[in-house]
Amino acid sequence: MSIAKRVQQWATFARTWHIYDCTWQNPFESAKLVKTHLLGLQKPIYHPMNDCGDHVVLINTREIALPGDEWVKRVYFHHTGYPGGASWTLAWQLHEKDPTMVMKKAVYNSMRGNLQRRHTMQRLHLFADDQVPEEILQNVTNQIRTPRSIPQRLDHIDKETLENFPNIMDYPKDYILR
Amino acid sequence: MVFLNLPLLVRSRGPDEFWRKRRIFKLAAHYRSRTRNVYSFAIRSVHRALAYATKGRKLKKLDMAQLWSTRVEAGCQQYGVGLETFKEGLARSDILLNKKVLSDLAIWEPRSFEALVKISRERAAVEGMPDIKRRSAFNQVYGLSNLKLD
Repeated sequence: MSIAKRVQQWATFARTWHIYDCTWQNPFESAKLVKTHLLGLQKPIYHPMNDCGDHVVLINTREIALPGDEWVKRVYFHHTGYPGGASWTLAWQLHEKDPTMVMKKAVYNSMRGNLQRRHTMQRLHLFADDQVPEEILQNVTNQIRTPRSIPQRLDHIDKETLENFPNIMDYPKDYILR
Repeated sequence: MVFLNLPLLVRSRGPDEFWRKRRIFKLAAHYRSRTRNVYSFAIRSVHRALAYATKGRKLKKLDMAQLWSTRVEAGCQQYGVGLETFKEGLARSDILLNKKVLSDLAIWEPRSFEALVKISRERAAVEGMPDIKRRSAFNQVYGLSNLKLD
């Protein structure tokens, strides 16, 4: 490989910015996917000592979906370090205080607990809704495909589509639905 | 009968003691404080370091194998092929490349690696491996399309 080709090959894996929509996604499955991009595991040039991770922008973290009854069963522990400084917070309470914290902790816990973890977390940008600052949106060049497809809510279907949807039969005007 | 001169034998270990200790001190030369100057501290640190080096020789092989797997998997993911499917497809095509060579190809020879992924993907599609459902007309590998399935 010539020098110019090597520079081009290395520049192919330069640091990029990805965006990820968290709407109705499982935060723990999403964290594995996000971790792959934060650490640079999706690049063939990956090495633990390389600093080849990408930036990931998470939007709509307010709309995440925890599996089962974990909103009321999952407990987040925090300790200030002082005597009596322990606190146990339920997931829904933590989500009310900070809509990005559940997703942030999911990504944080998905990584191995070494000294790189906090530096890697600095490449993660979380937003509760889809209002992202312009200087961050300018950097974003890729969207990570979400593992779970989003069904359309029934109350979000517009009236025109609902009225024009084909019916099997037309009810009489004086029909009473029992 | 009492042997009074037996404890005295410990006092004369012979003329090689200096050189035996010097061998240990040379290994401990880059340590700090008493572990580089005092033999009783140096021998402990040198023993521990040599034990770590012995274990590290085994761990390094495991670490390198894991790194090569990670890199080859990252290269395959670019083309939507899993690592196991890729290796199985290469093996069935009689391409006997190990993960070290494949990882080097993925980094330094991306076109060659792309050709290998295409061959593996076509082989997987032709032989009906579960990951690949259908053949890709865009990634047609000439020669495999005329393959006769037994």
